[in-house]
Amino acid sequence: MDHRATDRHQSLKLAFAILLLAAGCKVVPPPAPPPPTPPPEPERREAAPTPAPTSAPTAPPKAAPAAPPKSTAVVPAPAAPRAAAPALDLRSLEQRLKETNAIGVLTKLSLKNQVDDLVAQFRAFHDGRQPPTLTELRRPYELLLMKVLSLLQDSDPALAKEINASREAIWSVLSDRNKLSQFL
Amino acid sequence: MKRILFVVSLAASIATAADDPKQRQDLTAVIALNGKPCGEVVSYVVQADNDYVATCKDGNRYRVHVKDGRVIVEKQ
Repeated sequence: MDHRATDRHQSLKLAFAILLLAAGCKVVPPPAPPPPTPPPEPERREAAPTPAPTSAPTAPPKAAPAAPPKSTAVVPAPAAPRAAAPALDLRSLEQRLKETNAIGVLTKLSLKNQVDDLVAQFRAFHDGRQPPTLTELRRPYELLLMKVLSLLQDSDPALAKEINASREAIWSVLSDRNKLSQFL
Repeated sequence: MKRILFVVSLAASIATAADDPKQRQDLTAVIALNGKPCGEVVSYVVQADNDYVATCKDGNRYRVHVKDGRVIVEKQ
């Protein structure tokens, strides 16, 4: 009986030790999962301040996890477009206008005549001959630009768009004596 | 025989050139750029290099030519 009792006792100890080992083994994994969970926590912390100022207290928890990565990705993006500010390349536009097939040869020559006439008016203005003031010169300038755009917009819309985008930049060159003399 | 064929083909090519839609479009644009009433050039005659007489849809006729680097549009 005593042997049986001691055997049982030993087997119970062994079983208990196995259970403990098994429990110990099971205890080890739990620390592993926590590492993945911490990353979301900082995200929530980052996101929490942004929704807080806004007037939607119920939505933040759901929107917050998605928002931080977007905000971090968006932050550098605006910096690039700012750096690549549209630089006016009049020479390039002029060359493209000369080479485009959207306008016939006679039309190009006629347009060039009109551009030359307008530039002559600007030069007269800069030389002090004032009957056509800068404000008065704006209208023929806009009219000529409209003519060019109407000729280009169907057959060479990319060039038309670029010229239209350069409208103010071209005007700034024409209306500034130094810039105009540099270009001519 | 070969010469005759060459002359005929040359004449034919000139005739088609005189009805080039791109040239008609070019003349239409030039006339409009110079502020003359026309609508659309329906036909034209080549008089010389860069010298045309264009007939418009509204019946107007214009001589379009280049002189001293300028395009001149004159009503006929």
